[in-house]
Amino acid sequence: MENPFSLDGKTILVTGASSGIGRQTAISCSRAGARVVLLGRDETRLQQTLAAINSPDLHLVYAVDLLDYDVVGKMLKEAVSQVGSLHGLVNAAGISTTLPLKLLSPEKMDHFFRTNVHSAIQLTKLFIKHAAQNNDGASVIFLSSVMGMVGEMGKTIYSLTKGALIAGARSLALELATRNVRVNTISPGVVVTPMSQSAVYSQDEESLNRVKSLHPLGLGKPEDVANACIFLLSDAARWVTGTNLVVDGGYTAR
Amino acid sequence: METNFLEQLTELLEMETTVKPADKFREYENWDSLAYLSLISFVDEEYGIVIPRDEFGKMNTVQDIIDYIKNNS
Repeated sequence: MENPFSLDGKTILVTGASSGIGRQTAISCSRAGARVVLLGRDETRLQQTLAAINSPDLHLVYAVDLLDYDVVGKMLKEAVSQVGSLHGLVNAAGISTTLPLKLLSPEKMDHFFRTNVHSAIQLTKLFIKHAAQNNDGASVIFLSSVMGMVGEMGKTIYSLTKGALIAGARSLALELATRNVRVNTISPGVVVTPMSQSAVYSQDEESLNRVKSLHPLGLGKPEDVANACIFLLSDAARWVTGTNLVVDGGYTAR
Repeated sequence: METNFLEQLTELLEMETTVKPADKFREYENWDSLAYLSLISFVDEEYGIVIPRDEFGKMNTVQDIIDYIKNNS
C-alpha cells in the first residue's frame, strides 16, 4: 500500500537546521524519503546535522545569515540548479527570550521581528519562485509557538512575532492556493532543545517543574514537531492549508 | 559598574529613591514576580549572566546581586 505520509521524491528546504527543531526536522524528513537542503548559521553544526542524515551525499548544506537576502537568493538559485524544483519549506529558524515590557527597546523589537518574521517571509517569497508546479504542489510551514496563541509573563515580544506568523500564514494560504502552494503554521509547546534549555525557566528545578506541570503530556521532543512537519509536507495533507497545527502536549487544552 | 547598576535597578524596579547596596530588595514595597522577572532578564541582557533561582534565593541585599555579577563575569 502506498504511504500517504512518505516524502519520497520531494525536496525540502529547512531553516534553522543547525540545531533543535530544525535539525530534527531535517533528519526526520530525510528518513521519510526527502532530499533536504539545510540552511543555518553555523557550518560546523550544519555538518553535524548532515552526518546524522541517511545518505549525506544526496543533501545540500548552506551556512548563511537568513537576513542577508541577496546571498540567500543566490544560494537558493544554486541549490535549485542542482536539485530541481522544491516541494517544501520549513521555516524553523528563530530566537526566543523572556523580557518584561520595560526592557523592550525599539532595537530589540526590530531584531526579533527581523529574525523571526521578516526572514521567513522573504525566504518564502524566494521559495515560491522555485516551487514545484506539479499536481501535488508545494507546502510551506512556519514554526510558530503556543506563545502565538496564549500568553505568559515576559513573553510579549516572542508572542508578537509568533502570532504574526499565524496571522500571516492564513492570508498567504489564500494568496498561494491558486498556485497549489499550501501554507500552515505549527505551534509547539515547550520542546526540549538548546533554545528552551537556555531559557530563564530552565535554569532551576522549581521553574522547570512549573513549566512541565503546564504540559499534561510532559515536555515535547524535537521529533514530535518534526513528525507534524512531515504530515504537513506530505501528500496526506494535500487538502490542509491556512491552519495552525497545535503540538503542545495539552498546554492549551485548559 | 556599581553606580550604573544601582541607577538602572532603580529605574527597573520603579523606585522613587535610588537603591542602595545594603537594601534588602525583597522588602521593597513593589517587589513581586514581575520585579523578579525584570531583574533576572535585565542581568541576563546586560551582563549575559542567568542567575539560577536557587542562587537567587540565597541573595538578600542589592550588594549580593552585584557580587554575583562580579564573580560570574
